[in-house]
Order: sequence, then structure tokens, then C-alpha cells
Amino acid sequence: MKRSGKIALVMMGTSALTLTACEEPKIDTAIFETVEQCVAEQGLTAEQCYGEFDAAKAQHAEVSPKYNSRADCEADFGAEGCEVSPYRGSTGGSVFMPLMAGFMMGQMMGGRGYTQPLYRSGDDRKAFRTADNRSVGDKVGRTQVSERAAARPAKKLYTQRRGGFGARARATGFGGGG
Amino acid sequence: MERRAVRPRDNWQQVAAEHGFTFHTPDGERYWDESHAYRFTLREVEEDLEDPAEELEQMCFEVVERAVADEEVLRRLAVPEMFRGYVADSWRNGERNLYGRMDFRYDGNGPAKLYEYNADTPTALYESAIFQWVWLEQAMEQGLVPEGADQFNSLHERLIDAIGRFGVDGPLHLACARDTDEDLGTVEYLEDCARQAGLATRRMFIEDIGLSDDGRFTDTDDDPVRWLFKLYPWEWLMEEEFGSRIPGSDTQFIEPGWKAVLSNKGLLALLWEMFEGHPNLLPTFFEDDPKAASLGGRYVRKPLLSREGANIAFVENGRTVMDFDGPYGAEGFVRQAVAPLPSFDGRRPMCGVWLVASEPAGMCIREDEGDITTDDACFVPHFILD
Repeated sequence: MKRSGKIALVMMGTSALTLTACEEPKIDTAIFETVEQCVAEQGLTAEQCYGEFDAAKAQHAEVSPKYNSRADCEADFGAEGCEVSPYRGSTGGSVFMPLMAGFMMGQMMGGRGYTQPLYRSGDDRKAFRTADNRSVGDKVGRTQVSERAAARPAKKLYTQRRGGFGARARATGFGGGG
Repeated sequence: MERRAVRPRDNWQQVAAEHGFTFHTPDGERYWDESHAYRFTLREVEEDLEDPAEELEQMCFEVVERAVADEEVLRRLAVPEMFRGYVADSWRNGERNLYGRMDFRYDGNGPAKLYEYNADTPTALYESAIFQWVWLEQAMEQGLVPEGADQFNSLHERLIDAIGRFGVDGPLHLACARDTDEDLGTVEYLEDCARQAGLATRRMFIEDIGLSDDGRFTDTDDDPVRWLFKLYPWEWLMEEEFGSRIPGSDTQFIEPGWKAVLSNKGLLALLWEMFEGHPNLLPTFFEDDPKAASLGGRYVRKPLLSREGANIAFVENGRTVMDFDGPYGAEGFVRQAVAPLPSFDGRRPMCGVWLVASEPAGMCIREDEGDITTDDACFVPHFILD
């Protein structure tokens, strides 16, 4: 037979299959707003806590979402929820990012989570969120989060310019496929 | 090879809707046409089309080898100077390629002749892989085509397999230009394949690609575009505003940069130069090559960079007798010996052979009225029956 044995489409058309989400595996970790809360937690040493906090803080500027204006940032993270990032826009203007609201420990009790900063969004003040915008609940102290949420957060880039591709398609009124 | 009248399925439009085939009748003009089908023998498909496509692909690799070793060749292909190293590196680093379509003149008699190779941005993929396949299954079921017919079409299986082998380690971004139904249909289909290969995907428009402060390409969420399938010609990317940032970015492009050598009509001149007399090649020369005179005053003039028949001209006695307008040509031309499309009941089919990861994987027939297969051609399904 010179043709495919079967075909299936998962996104196109109405015959597409519906994928059901499975329960995500969880891992052990701990979440704190401050180093002091961490040190007070039974079984955690000050050295461990400062180490984890510093590691999270060091990533903050890189992984937090970036905005062109304070207003855009506050629209997502609430009034007084943002600060100036160390980055500069293409025209030299400031780039804004949310304030760090806490941190999540990596490697707790054999858990394979990644130490990282946490944030609180303006429309959901209670829950902590990772830099990749995954909610990890509102519990301070030892907790469990999904493996995905505990993964290493992506570095957030600051896009200086858009629209540098597509000029020929616009000029010719033709997309370039053939 | 024959052109057979076949009764269309009563509900084919509904089947199209169910399978996400939204561009079968663009602007009210028929594109998908199942009132006929081309029948091939297995020998015709395997010996006259599949095997030659495989051999030609290997010959194309030799052209790329030569091009990346000799900057003069890249210059003749109008690859911008700043991209010559990039194109060469993409080949030397073994960057994988996904797919392409070789277009042949073929009528069942004598060797198929390669008109050109759309190695960079071919469309008609979805209708070849899916809708043509569904047509055959249903046409056999409904007795419109004899039971036991087959089709040269393992595209779907092979695409999923090939996409899974790229080693994509994050989301795969897929982009085409805005306001292009056919290109979008192709990208949507490849996204579907990528999902089936287990990849996370994000679809976007080429116009929305951003450039970050540290020289990386970004999507509309400011996330890095690490893996980009782009249904947008390499020669356009290279000359546009962000083009100069491609070599320094960390984006892996699919198709890879070396496809710029193959999707160029200069490929046909280089193939003829290296494999003169090969039965599947038409004599072709760069226009400024003195040997082009051997074609006399009758030839087809093609821009090095052109899509869907644009700017192709037929020249007789040194005079243009027919041409098809378009935006290409500034970069130079090749001249190709005339090999008119065959005529079946006055219709002029072009045989496209698909390659996935450089292996022949399927076929599509597009029919037009004239000597040049354009955007307005109809897609006519095929089947194999001895």
C-alpha cells in the first residue's frame, strides 16, 4: 500500500478529537513571602532559606514579565504592584516588571522543583503565581504544586520592535506559499 | 496515466467542512475538483515519478554541497552576501528539512521532466495528504472508483514522524503571512501534525514576530521563538528589516537556510551543468551564460525567485508570446527548454511529487487551462490501479 494506513486530525475540522486533561503529577515544595517565614519553618535552616531566597531574587529580573509602561504592568499586577526593571527599551525608556511577592523552594524532600520567584496578579491577590503565570495556590509553608508549575521559568524577553518581517507579502498581496 | 470522469461525492462539501478544508472554492472559483481523477499504474508511479524524485533529491544535495563550498555559486543564486555563511553553516550543521514538492511534466510516456522544485514554501499539502486520501476511501466505498485502488500518499504518517525528529525542545512556532487562506491552511495542517507528534505549538503571523533587546525573535507573548516553521520564502526573510538579525538569533528555522539553494530556479541550471543529459532534467541555463544560446530563440524564461507561475514567460523566435505577470525578476533569470504540459481532454495537468525529510511521500495533480500552472489551477485527485 502506498498510502497512509490511517489519518487523524486533532485540531482541524469538527471531527477533531477532544483531548481530556489528565491529573498532573505533583511534587513537594514550600512557598514563602519572606526569608523570615522560611527560617521559622521547622526543619529548614537559615542557610538554606537565604540561599533559596537569593537564588529566586537573582532570577527575578530575567524571568518576570516585562512591560513598556507602568500602567500596562499595573493593569496586570495591580496598583503599586510594579517596579522599574534593569532593562532599557529601544528608545532608552524604562521597562517595567511586577514586584516579587515570594519564592518557591526547589529540591524539597527529594522534589525536583526549581527554585524561583513568585508573583501575585492584580485580579487574584491571594494566589501566588510563577513567572510563567501558573498558579501555585495561596498556602504559605510546605505545599504541593504541579510538576509543570515547579519547572524552571522561562527568561522573559523584552520585545523592542515588531513588524520587521512581512513587507514583501504586504507589497505583493501574496503570502509566498506555492 | 489517464484522466477519468468520476462522479463527485454528493456530500463532499460537508466532508470538507468536517475535515477543516476551508479553501476548496476560494472567491467562488473551483479549486478542489473531483469530477475527474487521474489514474496511474503502479509502475508509472514508482519508476517514472517516485524513483526519479529520490534520485533528483540526491543530485540536489550535490548542488548544495557545491554551493556551500563555492561562494560564487551562492552569488549566482542571488543569495545576499551576509547570508552566504549562514546558508553554508545550516547545511554543514546538518539542519534537518521537513518537506518539498518537485513539479514534473509527465504524461505516462517517457521520462518525467523536472520543471522546478518548490523546496521552501510549498502549499497544496493538506489537500494532498488528507482530503485526497479521504476522497479515495469514500470513492471506493461508494463505488465511484474501483475497489482495490491505491494512492501515492503516505504524507500524513511521514510528516508526523519527520516533525517528531527535529528535536524540538520547547514550543514549535508556526507562521505564515496574514490574509492568506491557502498558506494558513497549510500551516494549520502542519500544526495539527506537530501536535500529533507530541509537540507544543503556537501559531502566529510572520508580521507579528518581534525582536528582543538581546537579539532574539519573540512571539506576541514576548516568549522566545526558538523553533520556527515559516511558510514564508527565505529570500523575503533575508531582505526584510529583521533579516540581518537572523544569523545572530538562536532561532532554528524550518525549512533550514540551505533550502534557499533548492527553491531557486538557478538550481535547475546548476543541475543541468552538473548532470547534463539526465533523462529527468530539462536543459536550463542562467540567462547570462553564453550556453543559453544553445536553446535558440524558443525557451521559457523564469525568474530565479518566483512562486506560482509568476513572471514566467514563453519566448519564441526571441519574442515573448505569453507571460504571466508578477512581482519577481529583479534578481535574474534562467532559460529552460520548452516542454509544454501534456493535454488530457484539453486540461493541462502538472504532477507534483512530495518529499518529506527528503524521501518521496506522495503526489498531487494540479490542472490548469494553459501552459503555466498558476494560482488558479484546480486540484484533481489521483489513484493507482493496474
